[in-house]
Amino acid sequence: MQLDVFAARPGLGNPLGVVLDAADLDGASMQALAAWLNLSETVFFLPPEAGADYRIRIFTPGSELPFAGHPSVGAAWAAAQLGLAQPRAGALVQQCGAGLLPVRIEAEAGRLLPFVRSPRARELARHEGPLPAGLEALAAPGIAAALWDNGPRWWLVEAASAARLRSLRPDFAGIAAWSNATASTGVAVFAFEDGADHQLAVRAFCPGDAVNVPEDPVTGSANAAIAACLHRQGRLPGDGHSYVASQGRELGRDGRVAVRVDAEGDVWIGGQVQQVIAGTLDW
Amino acid sequence: MPRRYVQLDVFASRPGDGNPLAVVLEAQGLDDATMQAIARWTRLPETTFVFPPTTPEATHAIRIFSPRREVPFAGHPSVGTAYALLDAGLVTPRDGLLVQQGIAGNLPLRVHGEGAARTVAVRTPRARVQEIAAADDTRLAAALAGLQLGALPPVQMDGGRRWWLVELASEAHLRSAEPDWDAIAALAEASDSMGLFVYARSTDPVYYYAVRAFVGAPARFEDAASGAANATLAAWLAERDALPSSGGFYRVSQGREVGHDAIIELTVDADGEVWSGGRAATVVTGVLEWPEA
Repeated sequence: MQLDVFAARPGLGNPLGVVLDAADLDGASMQALAAWLNLSETVFFLPPEAGADYRIRIFTPGSELPFAGHPSVGAAWAAAQLGLAQPRAGALVQQCGAGLLPVRIEAEAGRLLPFVRSPRARELARHEGPLPAGLEALAAPGIAAALWDNGPRWWLVEAASAARLRSLRPDFAGIAAWSNATASTGVAVFAFEDGADHQLAVRAFCPGDAVNVPEDPVTGSANAAIAACLHRQGRLPGDGHSYVASQGRELGRDGRVAVRVDAEGDVWIGGQVQQVIAGTLDW
Repeated sequence: MPRRYVQLDVFASRPGDGNPLAVVLEAQGLDDATMQAIARWTRLPETTFVFPPTTPEATHAIRIFSPRREVPFAGHPSVGTAYALLDAGLVTPRDGLLVQQGIAGNLPLRVHGEGAARTVAVRTPRARVQEIAAADDTRLAAALAGLQLGALPPVQMDGGRRWWLVELASEAHLRSAEPDWDAIAALAEASDSMGLFVYARSTDPVYYYAVRAFVGAPARFEDAASGAANATLAAWLAERDALPSSGGFYRVSQGREVGHDAIIELTVDADGEVWSGGRAATVVTGVLEWPEA
């Protein structure tokens, strides 16, 4: 099946391929299928080992990933929605390349709302001086850009206003040069925005990491890094421990990422998931 | 409303060898913007949408979208869509022919065989010689640097989209060639063409030519299986009386250098029309849920 993750209706989020019964596929076959489907990620369900409710392997068209946010959110939805695993008080344990990861399944207006706990993010560096790639013009004054690592490494740049963020025409060559020079995945720019259903606007640029997808439509890891950064500053939007981010509108999408920060300071990323294609696979 | 949906691999006997295609078999009610959004979302090279025909001659009507725009005609989407419709029992050939209604007009498709052995070929728009170049043409020099050329001269063919067709000395040389992407992109832009299509004679028992298609603009990539570009090669070979003797029919091998292994079948009929086709493998069979605008 193909799902749309972080989407209130089909087409607004980030697509995900899901193969529910992959026990007879080897890694090479999974990689070949993920390349053929050409989705940003495809997940394969396998029988779980002890301690896990379900097990997945995650592939991009080019390689296998130990963990990624949007595939985990989509997989958690599929596991709960299709009854592959039974949540206990809303909790599930996902087994993936990175190990055992806790998942929460909430319900909202009759729909399942899955959350995955993001790996702990840490700050690696701060940027001194004017920002490259034309980003200085939109940056919020007095707040240094910082490089955060939660698996991927994102430069986090706070924009002075959501209007400036949304009208930004990114200098992909400049951003790629900065990313490559600093061994980072890309640049995530965000701004507070008083929307009807969201409190933060986000755009994520990764032209050095993914030449063909220079702006990512909806990005779990970047949103988790932003939440960790704002939590440390004591500046989380919303009610102080949960908020919704809007991402992808500039690309013809309109994703929503639900963010929670728990009492331990861990960041949870979730969102609505739409089933777009259901069927059988011959491979 | 759930719509029947298929993803298949065209010009392939096995999934993974050919060129991927998505087909929405029941597209009634979808407007242009919605079709474009679906084609962007599938991320495949093309997505087609099937409608009931509005002329009595046609067996089906299709619209073809890449992730960025609508495409008037393309070979592999036409072949794959016909294959999917036959598989689903939604069309019946008349005297071995289907007629596809599209924005480029009505085009016939020839159907041979049944089941896994079924092949479908589409009659391609007439291609013509745009320009024959000398082997040492300076405009081509950078893109052809390091390549050992074959006997036929470089030619720019126009089959709707334009390609520079260049014969190479051997299949082994063709398969190991390293494209100079900057030079190919510059050639494509300067000559308003797709890029460079190289071909070489083979001694393989299955295929007569091996080919590679380097798209220089707007994106830079090597195509896994090019129905229309191969049709312009067939027209060029017919023009030069260089077709194999077997009744104007031959196969080409394409895509191995980019992880695929496609076989495309070309026929030049008695009227000089070029038919481009082959097999297809169904990968995903299911339904699509997408709200109407």
